[in-house]
Amino acid sequence: MTNNANARPRRQLTLQKKQNLTGWIFLLPATILIVWMSFYPMVRAFIVSLQRGKPTALQFSEPLWRNYERMLQDKVFVQSLINTFTYLIIQVPIMLVLALIFASLLNMKDLKFKGIFRTCIFLPCATALVSYSIIFRTMFSYDGMVNAVLVSMHILKEPVNWLNDPIGAKAVIIIALIWRWTGYNMVFYLSSMQSIDYSIYEAARIDGAGAWTQLTKITMPLLKPIILVTAIMSTNGTLQLYDESVNLTNGGPANMSITMSHYIYNTTFVTSPNFGYAAAMSFVILLFVAVLSGIQMKVGDKR
Amino acid sequence: MKKILSVLLVLTLVLSLTPLALAEEDGKIVIWTWDPKFNIAAMNIAADMYHVDHPDVEIEVQEVLSDDIEQNVATAATAGDLSTLPDIMLCQDNSFQKMVTNYPEVYTDLTDLYDFEGFGPAKQAYSIIDGRHYGIPFDAGTVVGAYRTDYLEQAGYTIDDLKDITWDRLIEIGKDVKEKTGYPMFSGQAGSVDAIMIMLQSCGASMFNEDGSVNLKDNEPLKEVVADYMAMVEAGVFVEVNSWDEYIGTLSNGSVVGTFNGCWILATILSLDDQAGKWDITNMPKLANAEGATNYSNNGGSSWAITQGTDVDLAVDFMQMYRNVEFYNAILPTTSAIATFSPAKEGEAYSAPSEFFNGTPIFATILEFGEQVPSNITGAYYYDARNAVSTAVTNAMNGGDIDAELATAEDTVNFAMGF
Repeated sequence: MTNNANARPRRQLTLQKKQNLTGWIFLLPATILIVWMSFYPMVRAFIVSLQRGKPTALQFSEPLWRNYERMLQDKVFVQSLINTFTYLIIQVPIMLVLALIFASLLNMKDLKFKGIFRTCIFLPCATALVSYSIIFRTMFSYDGMVNAVLVSMHILKEPVNWLNDPIGAKAVIIIALIWRWTGYNMVFYLSSMQSIDYSIYEAARIDGAGAWTQLTKITMPLLKPIILVTAIMSTNGTLQLYDESVNLTNGGPANMSITMSHYIYNTTFVTSPNFGYAAAMSFVILLFVAVLSGIQMKVGDKR
Repeated sequence: MKKILSVLLVLTLVLSLTPLALAEEDGKIVIWTWDPKFNIAAMNIAADMYHVDHPDVEIEVQEVLSDDIEQNVATAATAGDLSTLPDIMLCQDNSFQKMVTNYPEVYTDLTDLYDFEGFGPAKQAYSIIDGRHYGIPFDAGTVVGAYRTDYLEQAGYTIDDLKDITWDRLIEIGKDVKEKTGYPMFSGQAGSVDAIMIMLQSCGASMFNEDGSVNLKDNEPLKEVVADYMAMVEAGVFVEVNSWDEYIGTLSNGSVVGTFNGCWILATILSLDDQAGKWDITNMPKLANAEGATNYSNNGGSSWAITQGTDVDLAVDFMQMYRNVEFYNAILPTTSAIATFSPAKEGEAYSAPSEFFNGTPIFATILEFGEQVPSNITGAYYYDARNAVSTAVTNAMNGGDIDAELATAEDTVNFAMGF
């Protein structure tokens, strides 16, 4: 090859160009689609976020960042922001730790019926968001299953109206989210744990390392990249939470469990439509996702 | 690559600036509506009756949910392409002002095209924007008080004891009934404020002033309504549940004495075969102090709108069916859709007594109630205000000060209107 290249350098160049061109042509369809269906709407959405007025007669607002400026004065938006971050801060760590524990339990070599356990824990991910929300709503209703069980076990003296209580409603959403997504994250951990050579654990055990030391000194460091991925995905997903807020609590009571996405939907379709403001709020979510993911990458990835 | 990107961006921008495309006149009427047993059934009957004299006109009734209709209108209007919309569509009365105000290019002004004589004025008010008519009234949401007579009897009351009473009297009766039978009088969905909106309209009051400005902070009737509502909940006369299914559940498993709601709730009650003969209807209680208080109100209901640029003349001609007493007689037995067209009450179907409701001719009774419903102002920001009031009431129930909460609610709505 080197001989050949030295002999005919011009042709080598065209070959490389040709290869580049082929590469670009292969990339082109996907690129066009992404630009057209993803980037263009984002650009348009940003332009809309600077506008105000009736949906079909949007005009640039004065000043341009008016929609962004007003957001902080919007009590409902601030409440939705607080709610969403409450979900994020409480739910994501609990869920990821649980997923890690489940994954390491299922990764034990001498565990029987692994397949059944794995299926059981992953199964919630196969349920539709709306249907599981409705099931949770029914379970936590005033005369629902949860109250019946807790009262009959004498844990509660009388039924609690979970969904009509500001803290209760949030708690139910967090429980539902953990139930729905733990298995999903566990699968990521499990698959990468299976790629860790078992002899490492054996060696560690010979050196006298207990289960906890093995988890923190071997499993977790080796899983770091995948933990990072799940953390970013969960953060992203929680910030865009919508189905649970709509179907489980309908944002209530008194907007105490409404999420940002739910409020954006209301602003666009339920109340008198305000596309500019809704687009501006969407960009704020985008900003949060970007910043939080950035921080997690910086903290988590030391390479 | 940069070049390609910029070309693409310019192209898409140009494409999005194409002028408003209108639907074609194709001599075919397409109708969007949502309930197979109710408004779809009614439109199918209308189509059959229209075909007798106009056999060549093709009419297609499509099932599209109310929320989807609103979203499709929003999408079509903002894309500037109305060709995806039908000729006629149904719209919830509470959304009508919002839709027409925000998407005026979609709806046909029917003021000079249709005769609105004979429709109840309160019903028409929902679809009148700036003095112009945009909607042809369909079903009434006239409020009835429906009660289990067997429960009332156990406590020593009859249905007549609940006729023409005030809320204060209702709370008295309710407490007594609860003591004797253990059942609360009413149930309702917490945070949905249906009950509060019904009570508010019963005295002709609204969440908005005539000029469209918000009227929550110093709205005396609203304060009376909230006070009465809270008193009912506190006394255990009105039990709050979390979801619509739970509300329907309280009726179907007989855990409440009755309910007050739009007359469409009777369709649900009528489906409870095991409770036949145990129900009766009368009017709802009224506010004791508010000016212009009545025992009549409205909740729900919908009206037909005609899309601009479509077969408007044909659609208007077809919609003459809704001024036809025969038509109302034909749809009543199958759909229980109660007209807002007064002459319809002369029809036979309306005066027939209902076995289920102890022989009361419920349809004629409801039409009679409907004529006495005071009109209210909904406006484009109705749902903003409704959500704000819901928050205020929930907070007040949890110990907040109602005056302060309503002031906050007014700020919230003003904030939304400030855009």
